[in-house]
Order: sequence, then structure tokens, then C-alpha cells
Amino acid sequence: MNTTVPSNNSPMIQLKGVRKSYGIYEVLKGIDADVARGEVVVICGPSGSGKSTLIRTVNRLEEIGSGSIICDGNNIHRPMPAKELNRLRSRIGFVFQSFNLFPHLSAIDNIAMSPIRVKGVPRDVAYAKATQLLERVGLADKAHAYPAQLSGGQQQRVAIARALAMEPPVMLFDEPTSALDPEMVGEVLAVMKGLAADGMTMMCVTHEMGFARDVADRVWFIDQGQIVESAPPEQFFSRPQTTRAQRFLSDLRH
Amino acid sequence: MISDIIAIIRDYWLLLLIGQYPNGPLGGLAATLLLSVLAIAFAFPVSIALALARLSKAPLLNWPVTALVYFTRGVPLLMLILWGYFLVPLVTGASVPSFLTMLVTLVVYQGAFLSEVVRGGIVALGHGQMEAARALGHSYLGAMRYVILPQALYNVIPSIISVFVATIKDTTLGYVINVPDLTFAASQINNQLLTQPFQVFFILAAVYYVICWSLSRVAVLTERRITRRRAGTAPQPTAKSLKLAALTDQPS
Ligand SMILES: Nc1ncnc2c1ncn2[C@@H]1O[C@H](COP(=O)(O)OP(=O)(O)O)[C@@H](O)[C@H]1O
Ligand SMILES: [Mg+2]
Repeated sequence: MNTTVPSNNSPMIQLKGVRKSYGIYEVLKGIDADVARGEVVVICGPSGSGKSTLIRTVNRLEEIGSGSIICDGNNIHRPMPAKELNRLRSRIGFVFQSFNLFPHLSAIDNIAMSPIRVKGVPRDVAYAKATQLLERVGLADKAHAYPAQLSGGQQQRVAIARALAMEPPVMLFDEPTSALDPEMVGEVLAVMKGLAADGMTMMCVTHEMGFARDVADRVWFIDQGQIVESAPPEQFFSRPQTTRAQRFLSDLRH
Repeated sequence: MISDIIAIIRDYWLLLLIGQYPNGPLGGLAATLLLSVLAIAFAFPVSIALALARLSKAPLLNWPVTALVYFTRGVPLLMLILWGYFLVPLVTGASVPSFLTMLVTLVVYQGAFLSEVVRGGIVALGHGQMEAARALGHSYLGAMRYVILPQALYNVIPSIISVFVATIKDTTLGYVINVPDLTFAASQINNQLLTQPFQVFFILAAVYYVICWSLSRVAVLTERRITRRRAGTAPQPTAKSLKLAALTDQPS
């Protein structure tokens, strides 16, 4: 279902021996993994296992200690001028657990601002695109609402549209539905499903196992800074290989 | 008493308004307003630059500015004014107009104070906003300009206004180095009349009060307007003006 024709055969994201420590505490203990173009990877694991840290190293919101991360052909953690890093970041969409919409801007301005200011897109083009994106996330009528006037689910959908406005070939999600009331989780997951169906490469930290079953090509189970299992969702959920994953899944079901 | 005040205003209104101008330097209320407006106009951007320097991780930016801020916070303004007045001509050999000495001192002093207010506003926002902006590809300064400062400055409007009001009040200290402002004009009048200090300085106080009060009012109204707009209870602007507002919604 998520099999899109990759523009070339190299993986979209390649993690090689990624290690990171906070002081003496090693959070990522050597991560080796690939995400293919058009692939949807769901990352799950116990709290504190390093999921956020891992996903945040991909757009270099976190530095790494050693190893390398290639995203869309670019070595993200090589020494480079700030300008170059900004350009690379603008091509990696990131969605935060806490939305982080800009509260001083209306929904449509949240979406149109960065294409205008970062990429130099003409205003009329940026606003036309922002209007389309609002339609795509089902919020065309909220264009001029400020974040404070939107529900959590609506805010997160605007945040997704804001990331998409930069036209990134890859989207990262760090627990996009964990801060939401249960009745709003569905609307955000629906938008993410749509994205996946359109062939977007996605890395999603989430504990929404229904989403993982329906949408993910693979599930990575992370524990104590390592990818302990990497398998298609059917296999991961029905036959987890390690006791740690079994325990995690049984905890999740209760 | 009231008639005395009216008489003083009648006889000396021009001196109070513009000082000895055009026979001497511009003075009176005009000089006070000019000094205040210039001091605020320069101190505001200076304070943002100082705040950013203090937030910077580069020691070369951080250290000198931190030292400056601690220094100015610990020294009375009057001391700085006198130093500037006596030391600058001594060191440079140039004679600097007292108006300029006063302006520069006010900009440095209030700029340093205001920078702490601005820095507090930025720090209070937390990391999320900066991270979101950086994740979208904004540069550090771009994120500051379009995301952080519009919010941080808005959140500290009341404190910013207090500093502005303090700046206006502090222009009166220019009196000690003969800046020909409103206070200077009033004391000239007092020296001529000799018998009516209360009336003369009552006028002075009233004028300062009106200026500072108006500024506070403007601030309160501005703040309310922005709050209403963000809460969405203000009349919805047209789509076009909104787009423009979003793109110009930055501190000037
Ligand atoms: N800035 C930081 N400084 C020190 N320790 C941190 C920092 N951020 C995260 N950690 C620690 O790293 C570990 C992994 O955190 P995180 O990646 O957020 O886990 P997860 O997202 O899987 O819950 C946790 O033990 C956390 O306490
Ligand atoms: Mg996390």
C-alpha cells in the first residue's frame, strides 16, 4: 500500500553507528538503520529509551557524538556553514508533540511565513499554497484563527501543514498525538495516513499501534538507546522476537 | 495660586516650549521631547542587540555586554552623566554638546536596563518556539526576528513602557550638565521670579505627568488591541490586510 516508486534506489535516511551521550549517560548506543524512499517507519519503545533523541538527530536539533546520518543524500552532521544546515533543515519536516505553533500568527500565516522568509517564495504563491494545505488538513475555514482559538487536534493539523509548506521530501513526527485528548487523535492520524498514502517518507515516534498496523512499513522497537527489533508491523505485533518487546507490547495493551 | 500659574504660563510659554530658540539652542518642552524620543528610539534597538549579545554563547559578545549591564545597573545615572560630561572632553579633547552627552548616556543606561527586560521576555518563551523555527529552516536571527521577538517583546510591553517612562523622567537630570530642556527652562523662570517656586515647579510636574501618563495609556491600549486580535474577538481584518500584518508584525 505504501509502495511508491522511489526516485532513486538509495535510502532516504541512513543512520550509521549513531551514538550520543548526555554527560556520561549514553542515550543512543550505536544506531544503524535505513529508511527507504516512500517508507513509513514507526518508532516505539519505553519512555526514556531515546526515541525523541534519535528523531531529533535526523534534522540536527540534537548533535551526535559519533556516527553519521545521511538524509536525502546529505550528510547532516558534517561540519558545515550555518546557512547550509538551515537549508538542509528546511527540507526535513518536523512535527512536535507540543505542536509549537507560532501563537502570534494566524493559522495561514503560520503556514505561509517560512516559505516566504526562508525560501523567498512570493507571497501570493505562498498563501495560495497555504490555503491548499489548510484544505488538505481539513481546516480551510480556520485560516484566520489564531492557535489559541484552535483545539489541540486542529493545532497539530496546522503544524503538519506548516511543515509540509516547505515541501520536504521527508517528515519526522515525535509523538504527534500524545498531547491530545483521545477524541482528537483520530483527526491527526487521518492526516498522517493521507500523507503516507501520497508516498511521503515518514519517521513517526508514536504509540498508536492501530496507526502502525495500518500505515507503517516497518516498526522499530527501541530500548535503552538501541534498535532492538525492526520488523513489518504484522510480524512485530504478532511475533515480537525479544522479551523486552513482548513486555513492552503487553504493557501497552493494559 | 491658580492665577499665578496662569500668569507664569502666559508670560513664559514660549520659553517653556522652545527655550531660547532661535536666539539660543532649542530648549524647553521641545528639547525634552526630542531628547526623550531620540533616547527611546536608540535605546530600544540597542537593548535588543545587547539582549541578543548576552544570550550569545560567544564569550567575545557575551562578556563585555554582561559587564556593561552589571556596571550600569550598579551605578547611579547621575554619575554616568557627570563622567560623560567631564571625562569625554578630557580624553578626546573635543567639546561635546551637553545634549549629545545626555542622549548617549541615556541610550547606554536605559538600553542596558531594557536589555534585561527583553532578555527576560526571550528566556520566558522557552525552547519550543525557537526549535520549531529552526526546524523549518530559519536562521537563528531569522527565528529571533519573525518568531521570538514579536512574542517576547509583546509579553513585556508593560515593562518596556516603564523603562520608556523612566527615560523621559531621567531627561530631567540633564539639568546638572546644563541641557537646555524643560526643567532647565523652569528653573530659569524660577530664578527670575524667585518668589513662586511652588507654582513654577507645579507646571513642570504637570507637564511631565501628562507626557508619561499619555505614554502609559498608549501602551495599555496597544496591548489590549493585540490581545483582542489574538483572542479573535476583534473585528476580523480583511484577508489582505491580515497577510500584510503578518509579514510586518515585527518590532521596528
Ligand atoms: N537535554 C538532556 N540532558 C540530559 N539528559 C537528557 C536530555 N534529553 C534527554 N535526556 C535523557 O535521555 C534519555 C532519552 O530521552 P528521550 O530521547 O527523550 O526518550 P524518549 O523520547 O524515548 O522518551 C532519557 O533518559 C532522558 O532523561
Ligand atoms: Mg520522547
